[in-house]
Amino acid sequence: MQSESARMASAAEARFRIDAPNSKPRAIKVIALDRPSDRVVKRLAQATWNQASFFTASAFAGAPQGTGSFSMTGWLSDVAGRTTDLVNEVDGADLVVMVATAGENASAAAIIGEACSVKRVNTTSLIVAGAGASDEALAKTLAQLRPWSLMLVIASADDYIEDMLRALRA
Amino acid sequence: MLRKEQNDLLTQTGPGTPMGQLFRCSWVPALLAEELPENDCPPVRVKLLSERLLAFRDSDGRLGLIDEFCAHRGVSLWFGRNEEKGLRCPYHGWKYDVTGQCVDVPSEPAESGYCRKIKLKSYPLIEKGGILWTYMGPPERRPPEPAWEFASVPDRQRYVSKREQECNWLQAMEGGIDSSHVSFLHRGDLHSDPLFKGAKGNQYNLGDARPVFEVVESAGGLYIGARRNAENGHYYWRITPWVVPSFTMIAPRGNHSVHGHFWIPVDDENCWTWSFDYHPIRELTAAEVAAMREGKGVHVAVIPGTYRPVANKDNDYLMDRAAQKAGRSYSGVAGFGMQDASVQESMGPIVDRTKENLVSTDNGIIMARHRLMRAAKALVEKGIMPPGVDPEHQKIRSVAIVLPHDVPYKEGAREALVARPGVAPATV
Repeated sequence: MQSESARMASAAEARFRIDAPNSKPRAIKVIALDRPSDRVVKRLAQATWNQASFFTASAFAGAPQGTGSFSMTGWLSDVAGRTTDLVNEVDGADLVVMVATAGENASAAAIIGEACSVKRVNTTSLIVAGAGASDEALAKTLAQLRPWSLMLVIASADDYIEDMLRALRA
Repeated sequence: MLRKEQNDLLTQTGPGTPMGQLFRCSWVPALLAEELPENDCPPVRVKLLSERLLAFRDSDGRLGLIDEFCAHRGVSLWFGRNEEKGLRCPYHGWKYDVTGQCVDVPSEPAESGYCRKIKLKSYPLIEKGGILWTYMGPPERRPPEPAWEFASVPDRQRYVSKREQECNWLQAMEGGIDSSHVSFLHRGDLHSDPLFKGAKGNQYNLGDARPVFEVVESAGGLYIGARRNAENGHYYWRITPWVVPSFTMIAPRGNHSVHGHFWIPVDDENCWTWSFDYHPIRELTAAEVAAMREGKGVHVAVIPGTYRPVANKDNDYLMDRAAQKAGRSYSGVAGFGMQDASVQESMGPIVDRTKENLVSTDNGIIMARHRLMRAAKALVEKGIMPPGVDPEHQKIRSVAIVLPHDVPYKEGAREALVARPGVAPATV
């Protein structure tokens, strides 16, 4: 007689798995940190998503204080160009994805990252480092993102971003 | 999650499928050399990439991997007689050489030359590093021989094992690049297994239970780096390379040997888990080899005479609920290898990835799927060879290293990530 594990791991038994949704869409905020990333994010925004929304880090008044309290003001632009408050956006997020390009200025990561830290929101950062990106350029961007990223991906092309967001059910 | 058609694309490896073509670009492990130990030894059935084959070593020591079935009436040549430079079907005496060429049809006059019109499909089979490797792709695209470091070191510096795994290759392979499961499934074993314990790096693991992951593309696949805080503004990095389609190495610990895996499809619902240990600059000790034979480290105890694990789904993996409850074992299943296999097989023969809910720490898995799909598409549509075929992509190492906070690990460990004969591994 087969063990329970053997019986239950069969293809035949797979037919009886519960066929019902097992999750609700997560709110994922995708934020471009620089101009090349902004183009990528705006292109992604044209597709249909569950609960992903897309922004550009447009203006920040102040630098992170590192005191545990969040004291600066940050603004994002949505794809239509409307200005929206960073903290409000982060507050409603399950995950914040920051998109940067190797060699570009990613200083906004510190302010977004601190907002996420205060609001206890997970952060993932993606650096697009094409074949022409130098080690120095990558190191510069990496240094700005690393302190604020709980997961960091360095991809050779921006097509990974859409695959990642789809995989996360964004 | 994946859409159904993406899951099908990645999990189906039979002839003509995109992933099947991708696997057929490289040399893949087919058998342990010990399975064909001498000339004219018994032939061995081999099922790889959904093809039924038969391996044998002829009277001159030549290795053959041919269609399992006789061209005459479809008898399995496993029943054949391995004699006088060929394998003879016991039914009517048709005989084949290691290339699958029929060399004798006793019922036909020899002068007729009929046997020359009969040839079974065959694949090259070569021996390297204790493994018999085969290449199942088009002859004109046959790549250079395998260049993996573990297979290149002297025999006494290496131990290789294989075991049956009763699920699709992808869900087994994804376990190998899913670094975040170690803190749960294998909890406790790092400090008791003789092939892991005692390294300074283990203290970093203990001191920082929440590693941060960085996934970086490499020429051959990926590097998956897990970083933990170390002293004086430094990070302790454990870097796992993954090479397309299914090779990984685990970051080393202290002066222990280095281990890794291949996952090779048998068919779409079974795979071989190949496990190796080696040390680049020293022989393995008798105690290490004995531990590996007992199923310690990444190896698994198998039923004698087979490659089926002693703990398997037919005996509920010898689940020990008392040990689990008492805290002696987190999962209740003994050993790293079967801890992995038990949960992976429980997903079913081919897990339905349309229902999964990945999180950001799964980016290694997401990126690996992305690269596999991209490589399969480029191969099928443009004939571009996938990553991992180039021998330079195979000359890689896993690394454990302490680096300053601001250093990209791919840069800081650049030399350490390359296999260099006679050079000690970077390890902590």
